[in-house]
Amino acid sequence: MKKFTVSKAASKGIVMGKAFVAVQEKLEADTRIIKDSEKEIEILKFQKAVKDAVEEIKVLAKDNEIFAAHLDVAEDAVLSDSVEGKINGENKNAQLALEESVAEIVTMFESLDDEYLRERAADIKDVGKRMMCKLKGVKSNPFEGIDEEVIVIAEDLAPSDTANMDFKFIKGFITEAGGVTSHVAIMARSMEIPAFVGVVDFRKNVTNEDYIILDALGNEIIVNPDDETKEEYTKKAEEYKAMKAELESMNGLPATTLDGRTVELFANVGSLTDVENAVTRGAEGIGLFRSEFLYMENTKFPTEQEQFDTYKKAIETIKHPMIIRTLDIGGDKELSYYEFDKEENPFLGWRAIRISLDLKDVFKTQLRAILRASAYGDIRIMYPMIISVEEFRAANEILQECKAELRKDNIPFNDSIQTGIMIETPAGVMCAEDLAKEVDFFSIGTNDLTQYMLAVDRGNQKISKMYNSFHPAVLRAINRVIEAGHKYGKMVGMCGEFASDEKALPVLLGMGLDEFSMAATEIASSRYKVRNLKYEDCKELAKNVCSKSTIAEIKELLD
Amino acid sequence: MVSKKVVVNNKTGLHARPASSLVSFVKKFKGCTVSIVNGEKKANAASIINVLTLGAKQGTELEVIVEGENEEVALDEIVKFIETLEE
Repeated sequence: MKKFTVSKAASKGIVMGKAFVAVQEKLEADTRIIKDSEKEIEILKFQKAVKDAVEEIKVLAKDNEIFAAHLDVAEDAVLSDSVEGKINGENKNAQLALEESVAEIVTMFESLDDEYLRERAADIKDVGKRMMCKLKGVKSNPFEGIDEEVIVIAEDLAPSDTANMDFKFIKGFITEAGGVTSHVAIMARSMEIPAFVGVVDFRKNVTNEDYIILDALGNEIIVNPDDETKEEYTKKAEEYKAMKAELESMNGLPATTLDGRTVELFANVGSLTDVENAVTRGAEGIGLFRSEFLYMENTKFPTEQEQFDTYKKAIETIKHPMIIRTLDIGGDKELSYYEFDKEENPFLGWRAIRISLDLKDVFKTQLRAILRASAYGDIRIMYPMIISVEEFRAANEILQECKAELRKDNIPFNDSIQTGIMIETPAGVMCAEDLAKEVDFFSIGTNDLTQYMLAVDRGNQKISKMYNSFHPAVLRAINRVIEAGHKYGKMVGMCGEFASDEKALPVLLGMGLDEFSMAATEIASSRYKVRNLKYEDCKELAKNVCSKSTIAEIKELLD
Repeated sequence: MVSKKVVVNNKTGLHARPASSLVSFVKKFKGCTVSIVNGEKKANAASIINVLTLGAKQGTELEVIVEGENEEVALDEIVKFIETLEE
């Protein structure tokens, strides 16, 4: 029995099964030039590959239109004429001739001004790949023939890989490449398949003879567990399943503690798909709409209309409060179409609200789009990285200008739209009372707040151990902000990862946090936790935590 | 060799499923070579890749050319097939 600790799960859960180490072949063609005497045999090889590929596709095409189209392509005379022409006329071997022919046809299709035809290029590529596998004598689907429960271990998994999988038997993934936002991570989460990604060099530790427990709750991989361990984890997996079922039955119930304190569970989103997921996962609103995706996934600053369409669609989907954070770039987030000066300290540099206040036109375009969308639901505006009352006032002044313009043009918007700020700098914390008098709400951004409170760069591996939101300074800062907000009757939320931390949750609840905004997948378990806590106990705990002087003491209280 | 002009009537044109069904239909005439001409583009009617790249839309006039056994019959059937495509 061997144990491996993994830093973070891409998709939670516990599963076990035999290891299936995927052999993913490189499908590059052999580039050899052949002798005239070999031509005949290369053509025969190609014809055999076509025949085999066609046989394979026929089975798939029985109940699938996509594969029916593949069948036409595989049998196509143009493709075979081109391949045979290259073998006969240019002395290319069958693999090379196929690779080039497919590439030429694909280029031709992709250059046509017709979306349907451009999509067909993908079909041709796929057929070409299948034929190449036949020529090379490798399986075109490495996940074929799996007939027992397995954990797939691969270097990386592409959409075409996962599309080929039979999830009756494939219970979990471990990949060496990829981050938590990679295709496989996103897919695993949406299908609720436990997964670890970015487990560097893991394949060398296992063979297909091994048995694996993938514990994506405790962040461990256990290879060849003994019977006792297997039994223990079978039990854990069942408990988790039962808990999840219970959690899901609670969607729609309020996050109310046993003694009657209700908080709001909102979702952080970075796309319209996220908004849809937030709805299905039971979010009661959007606590952080990361508007920068509109800018980062674009080739120019997005227009007012583009933004309006997106905001409107989002608010009509969520139908609950939605807090839009205005453009938060700079730091580590850049735009392909705007040149940022090189800075010594980008995190202390020109970023977030500082950019918006300087690039007034860009800011106004966004504010006008948000205002227009506010006619369709409870949209609120949040300014990031505010360090002073002046900044908040300056931003709101521009907002007033936008309102005046819209009013003049008779364009509807919500005149009493709420405006709040992110508290993520020590300055914001120290001036929280002054700010609380003027804003409508606070949202604490713990990722940056921790970095700035502790002066610890969160991207620097060397000091990553020092980055800890349980540091007394951070916890006290949070407490102070909540108190300041409440003193002036303002809602205080949190939209950093800390809001869904299971150890932090009772403390934050006890401090009086009103709104917890988190990844949608965390909402159900947070709801479960809140509903099983007593507010009075949490208050006591929070007081206790704030009186401790070391991280160790705080952790001890929370364990 | 015989040939005849025909106008594409269906909404999709020689695209997607209509193109695919035309190719299958043409393949039935084993003794014939069938070509379709759209302006300067000439396609082997038994090749889906070729037919698709003709870019024939609703209203496009095509010329169907058939050469081989029973070419008259084949031509009539193929022209009729194109005229009565649906979708």
